[in-house]
Amino acid sequence: MKTIRELTEKKPWLSWVLFFATVIIVFLIGLLASSIVERRSEAQLYFQMVSPIPEWEPDNAVWGENFPRQYESYKKTLDTNFRSKYAGSAMIDYLEQYPELVVMWAGYPFSRDYNQGRGHYYSVEDIHNTLRTTGPMPATCWTCKSTDVPRLMNEMGVGEFYAGSWESLGHEVTNPIGCQDCHDPETMNLRITRPALAEAFERQGINIEDATHQEMRSLVCAQCHVEYYFGEDNYLIFPWDKGYSAENMEEYKDEVGHVDWVHSISKAPMLKAQHPDYELYKTGIHAKRGVSCADCHLPYHREGGIKFTNHHLMSPLDNIEATCQVCHRESEATLIADVYERQDKISELRRVVEKNLAQLHIEAGKAWDAGAKEEEMQEVLTLIRHAQWRWDWVAAANGYGIHSPNEALRVLGTSIHKSQEARILLTTIFHKYGLDYPIDMPDISTKAKAQEFIGLDMEEQRRKQKDFEENTLPQWLGAK
Amino acid sequence: MNFIRKIFSFLKPPHRWRLSVIILTGIFTGIFFLVLHISMAASYLSDDPKTCINCHVMYPHYASWDKGSHGHVATCADCHVPQDNFFRKYYVKATDGLRHATFFTMRWEPQTLMIKDAGINVVQENCIRCHIDLVDMVQLVEVTGRSAAKGEGKLCWDCHRETPHGTVKSASAAPHALVERLPSVMPSWLNIFLEQGDDNK
Repeated sequence: MKTIRELTEKKPWLSWVLFFATVIIVFLIGLLASSIVERRSEAQLYFQMVSPIPEWEPDNAVWGENFPRQYESYKKTLDTNFRSKYAGSAMIDYLEQYPELVVMWAGYPFSRDYNQGRGHYYSVEDIHNTLRTTGPMPATCWTCKSTDVPRLMNEMGVGEFYAGSWESLGHEVTNPIGCQDCHDPETMNLRITRPALAEAFERQGINIEDATHQEMRSLVCAQCHVEYYFGEDNYLIFPWDKGYSAENMEEYKDEVGHVDWVHSISKAPMLKAQHPDYELYKTGIHAKRGVSCADCHLPYHREGGIKFTNHHLMSPLDNIEATCQVCHRESEATLIADVYERQDKISELRRVVEKNLAQLHIEAGKAWDAGAKEEEMQEVLTLIRHAQWRWDWVAAANGYGIHSPNEALRVLGTSIHKSQEARILLTTIFHKYGLDYPIDMPDISTKAKAQEFIGLDMEEQRRKQKDFEENTLPQWLGAK
Repeated sequence: MNFIRKIFSFLKPPHRWRLSVIILTGIFTGIFFLVLHISMAASYLSDDPKTCINCHVMYPHYASWDKGSHGHVATCADCHVPQDNFFRKYYVKATDGLRHATFFTMRWEPQTLMIKDAGINVVQENCIRCHIDLVDMVQLVEVTGRSAAKGEGKLCWDCHRETPHGTVKSASAAPHALVERLPSVMPSWLNIFLEQGDDNK
């Protein structure tokens, strides 16, 4: 056998091979050692305020200097790639997907444009972009869109903030939903920055200051993810005085005589549900077991030795291991299948209601055309109002009913009942005025066809939006 | 003996290299021992539960075990390592240990640890090993990880699902639990020496 010396004398490159191999091995071992040391020390570094945050600081990046992990994960709400079976973070054109909605919202801005919302990071951008904001609107519409709102409410006063016009504050509201909406800048404790929630609790005799930390992990979301309406001087009110259910809020709104708009075909005095996520969630099993919004939507995350709240607000379906599986030991595929199974059933009933209601509005329109009298139509219109409100109470909530599948199905069931009651009444009116039943339904198979049918001038809407984007928006964005 | 000498003479470096080879080998060996020391490699041969929290990913599991019913009577290895024979025991320790070390170094660990099929077999065996008095009269004694996977019988923790690690199980479940912290890498005499140095300043 030749010695290594003889070998390397014959082939000098072999010594280089040996040399570099040693270097690589030592390097890798060093890496392992440094990793062990680093991971031991990282558990000791956690809460460090690098630069104190001023009260009412709206800029999320300023908060992010102190809390890089939270801020970096929050910025992931920019991601729009996740799409589940029915929702996700991708923008979905719901009017294209369910064109009946255009007819159901005839005469109301939602018939122009309605999408699955993107992440919080887009909250200001998306309200600039939507065709729903082309008309004059109150400043109250800004309430849930930005971290600038608490600052403005503090400067202007709450009533004065609501009383202004949307246009008058456009240049002030530039930062998307973020840190300040839920956190105290000094202690990072959760806090309520929107008065409507505290006021609604106060009317029920509950002091929101008494909420536990676990309750706060849902209540900060309930500042916005709830049902609301604009009262006198566009003051923001949560309609919870009679309770949180669809029926309770319906009764409340009937009593205060609130009407969001009069339907342009059926002439029904309609209600538009916002997004009663918190109210629907409260009826579900997770809420009953004390699971908060944050447990699934801002799950705790371990990065080495550090535990922090992952601020990437999103569908838990994209992060099963940190959400569902913490309690449910089933496989990811099984858990997703369980969610979809429930959502499929909700979807089935939703589609029944949507087709029913679109037809119902058109039938009511025919009855008016044939000369039906107001007193004859009264009951039908109330049923339409209630049926659509109940559908919307489920449909407008995020999560496609999964926050409480039983309650979602129950409320959709009452909606089907009410819409069919209305149609029974309508047949007697049809009979009286000699109308044939069933009617010939117009073609509303696409968003464009449905919009044409309700007489919506989309060209005009787009022109107005273009004008806004070219003339007003640059001034707003340039102001800061 | 002749064979060993042959290998040694084969590996013997050229004369000119002698110094650098000695230094390099020294560096290599030194780092090797350092890694052995700070990773507390020897502890992995034992059954001491503290070994499992050399790695802080295991804190929540250690805490829930320590405070639970099994904390007084069984160690981690009693359930998670085969106890029927020496070779199987160290084979499982070696394969599990290498996988865990790789995953943790590469930061591949998931937020919620889920037991693997091989682990299920071992734990199920060990449930029966200790609780034989409860199950030997009924069919449950025959349930293994493999039979349960085929739908023949249920695993012990399909019903006793909170034994012993609790309801909420994730890396974030109890990361700051009051578990025993690792000893310092530095020898205590060196720490004392350095602190005295600070005082003199």
